Amino acid sequence: MSGRPHAPGWVTSQGHYAGSVSRLLAFIIDAAVSAGLFSLGLAAANLLWQVVTGHSVHWTRANIAVAIIFVVWEFFYFGYSWAASGRTFGMAVLGVRVIRADGAALDPWRGVVRALVFPLSFLFLGLGFLGILVQREHRALHDLIAGSCVVYAWDARAARLRFLARDADASVNGSSPSPAGAGRPGQAGGSV
Amino acid sequence: MTRTPRRPGLPRHHPPGMIPAMAAWLILGVVDPRDRIRSAGKRLTDPAEALAQRVAERVVDLVVEVLDVNALMQRLDLNAVLRRVDVKALLDQVDLNDLISRVDLDALMARVDVNELVQHLDIDALVEQTDLGAVIARSSGGVATEALDSARSQAVGMDGFIDRWVQRALRRSHPGPVAPGRPDGQEPPLSPNGHAPTLPQAGQAH
Repeated sequence: MSGRPHAPGWVTSQGHYAGSVSRLLAFIIDAAVSAGLFSLGLAAANLLWQVVTGHSVHWTRANIAVAIIFVVWEFFYFGYSWAASGRTFGMAVLGVRVIRADGAALDPWRGVVRALVFPLSFLFLGLGFLGILVQREHRALHDLIAGSCVVYAWDARAARLRFLARDADASVNGSSPSPAGAGRPGQAGGSV
Repeated sequence: MTRTPRRPGLPRHHPPGMIPAMAAWLILGVVDPRDRIRSAGKRLTDPAEALAQRVAERVVDLVVEVLDVNALMQRLDLNAVLRRVDVKALLDQVDLNDLISRVDLDALMARVDVNELVQHLDIDALVEQTDLGAVIARSSGGVATEALDSARSQAVGMDGFIDRWVQRALRRSHPGPVAPGRPDGQEPPLSPNGHAPTLPQAGQAH
């Protein structure tokens, strides 16, 4: 309750351009989830075909038709997520969000365009992603084309409150508090 | 014609000379002869009272108009007056509950900048020193939330670490630009000291 200044860690980065690690982790989660869902769908389709026709088939991604469907599914997964809410499942987990370059919410068509040009960033050994590292606004090639950027959207201040609350609760209950600095939101090495 | 009730104590059979005296006694029992005097007096005093009040009000008005209150106040040693005031006795006479009930709290709160007030609060100390922490932990706690907070924090920490090294390698000294707005169209949140926060830089803790 005193009037002492807040710790620097209290400065939230909510709304700031998201960095490379958060975006990479979000993409890895999305890739795993979308591939897992596709595999489940494929298995369900195999089973259904076997039940209906009585013939056993085994579709894999090596099949050209399945590969095309997989690509369409990936476009749908990312495009729909970005167009509908500006975030995919992985982005929601990591607390980042796609917005328009001017800061407004992403238009649905921009979300679709972003999904369509997303593969371009993979060309030339992923050169298009270099922008996330070196560009001042951390915008990749597909961001520049779609006029979008990725920002942190999770409330680190609330997270820090939760952390402090858990610590205080643990000390009241006599159990050992969380190890200092281990994923401590709003502190060195772990703030938003 | 109504019959006058018989007074207790009067004899049923009385001598002839007593009739006028009884009649007078009966009349005086109903009518008070001083009533007329009182009524006449009231008719005279009421207008006189009203007149006196009007005169007094007018005199007070005239005195107040003529009086230079500022000059009077300058001559008045308020400190001396206040020294004579027994504040404790004064406060004892004040009904604080009644006083508070007369305060328009809505109007008062409308004049208070709560955001400014909150910025002076040390939330860390507040949570650590009060039961507020336990309340927050119970209301928003959970293994999933804790894991999510931790993962996000670690990711952002690594973001900052890599960004610092890249900025250093590119020999950039100026901080990166602040994102133009939040996803909901609002401006980026201000830091507690009222300035727009900047991206984590080398040597900074956030």
